[in-house]
Amino acid sequence: MNFRQTLTHGLWRDLPPFRLVLGLCPALAVTATAENGLGMGIAVTFVLIFSNMFISLLRKVIPDKVRIASYIVVIATLVVIVELAMKAFFFPLSQQLGIYIPLIVVNCIILGRAEAFASRNPVHLSMADGLSVGLGFSMSLTLVGSIREILGVGTWFGMAVFPDSFEPFGFMVQAPGAFLCLGLLLGLMNAWSRHRGEFFIQT
Amino acid sequence: MREIAHLVLVLGLICSLSAGALAYVRTSLAPRIEMQEDFYVRGPALERLFQQPAKELLTEKLTVPVGDQDYPVFYLRQDGEVTGLAVEAAGKGGYSGDIVIMIGLDPRSDRVLGVEIVSHSETPGLGAKVELASFRQQWTGLILDQPLALAGDGGGIDAITGATFSSRAMVEGSNQVVDLLRDHRQEILSLIEQRSADGATSGGES
Repeated sequence: MNFRQTLTHGLWRDLPPFRLVLGLCPALAVTATAENGLGMGIAVTFVLIFSNMFISLLRKVIPDKVRIASYIVVIATLVVIVELAMKAFFFPLSQQLGIYIPLIVVNCIILGRAEAFASRNPVHLSMADGLSVGLGFSMSLTLVGSIREILGVGTWFGMAVFPDSFEPFGFMVQAPGAFLCLGLLLGLMNAWSRHRGEFFIQT
Repeated sequence: MREIAHLVLVLGLICSLSAGALAYVRTSLAPRIEMQEDFYVRGPALERLFQQPAKELLTEKLTVPVGDQDYPVFYLRQDGEVTGLAVEAAGKGGYSGDIVIMIGLDPRSDRVLGVEIVSHSETPGLGAKVELASFRQQWTGLILDQPLALAGDGGGIDAITGATFSSRAMVEGSNQVVDLLRDHRQEILSLIEQRSADGATSGGES
């Protein structure tokens, strides 16, 4: 992959979580509102860019046998930094996201990109890959969060979008709503891809 | 053998660099995090306990060191008399870490005004139920002259079903406050007097 492809592949071709079908746990758990989805996406993007950078820098130093352990140490360090920074600068958001911020450590997307991309590619490509996949993830989470918030609460980023007479569809902000929303989006994307004759998902 | 030494060395180096970076970030951000917690968590908790605006209450803060632990204490003063104390304590033994609570009480009678949760990391739906008012209201009106205990341990606090550890951590934190009041009451009151006297002479600190 060249630089331009690397920079854009996360936005449609490998769009997480829909294409990669990784990182579903935060995608389901924190997307009750658009703001939470966006916050989670940005935190993951930050961790992805820098974990890819450090792992790519260290790829010739880290012995194969302890590579996963080393990746996890790097990722966990970055996640704790994000957690502390969030508490220091965006306290209410960090309260809302709660346990899901530390859980970024075990987000499969991050370890997946480290193993599949950063450990084999030079630093600038790895950082571009992190940015691209991270932005894709933020977009998807914001989209899922927006749909759930608009239908479930009747607001978007806290602003009312429906008149008062609208009865919010409370089901959408609860756990089953997350599954429903994610599943329908996944189905729509696959139908669209098939319509265009693209087959990204292996059968 | 050489290979193992190499593995250990690399992994050890990565870990120590990470630890160093974390220590640096943590120490440099700690004051800001403390400020944010004061503003977003302790402030509202104090407001509920004392029914006064948080802005005034947060400035009335002192720290009481006991052994190797520091207890943040907030106070309310009216006509030269301390009418409210809010003591923060970290209850040990929660299911996943300490449960930090703040107990508001009237030092004249030792009657509890209420208990608030400052921070916890208990399981949502189970241990996190310690936040529920229906559980916390068991504290309201108690007189803190003797240690509390869960009903199952022969005391008067009903634990949350399925969350005995979390409930016990709350009781443990409360008992720290009981101990603190028993052993250090005069010290706390004189610290407050001292601070108020200083504030009065210097025309009130910001």
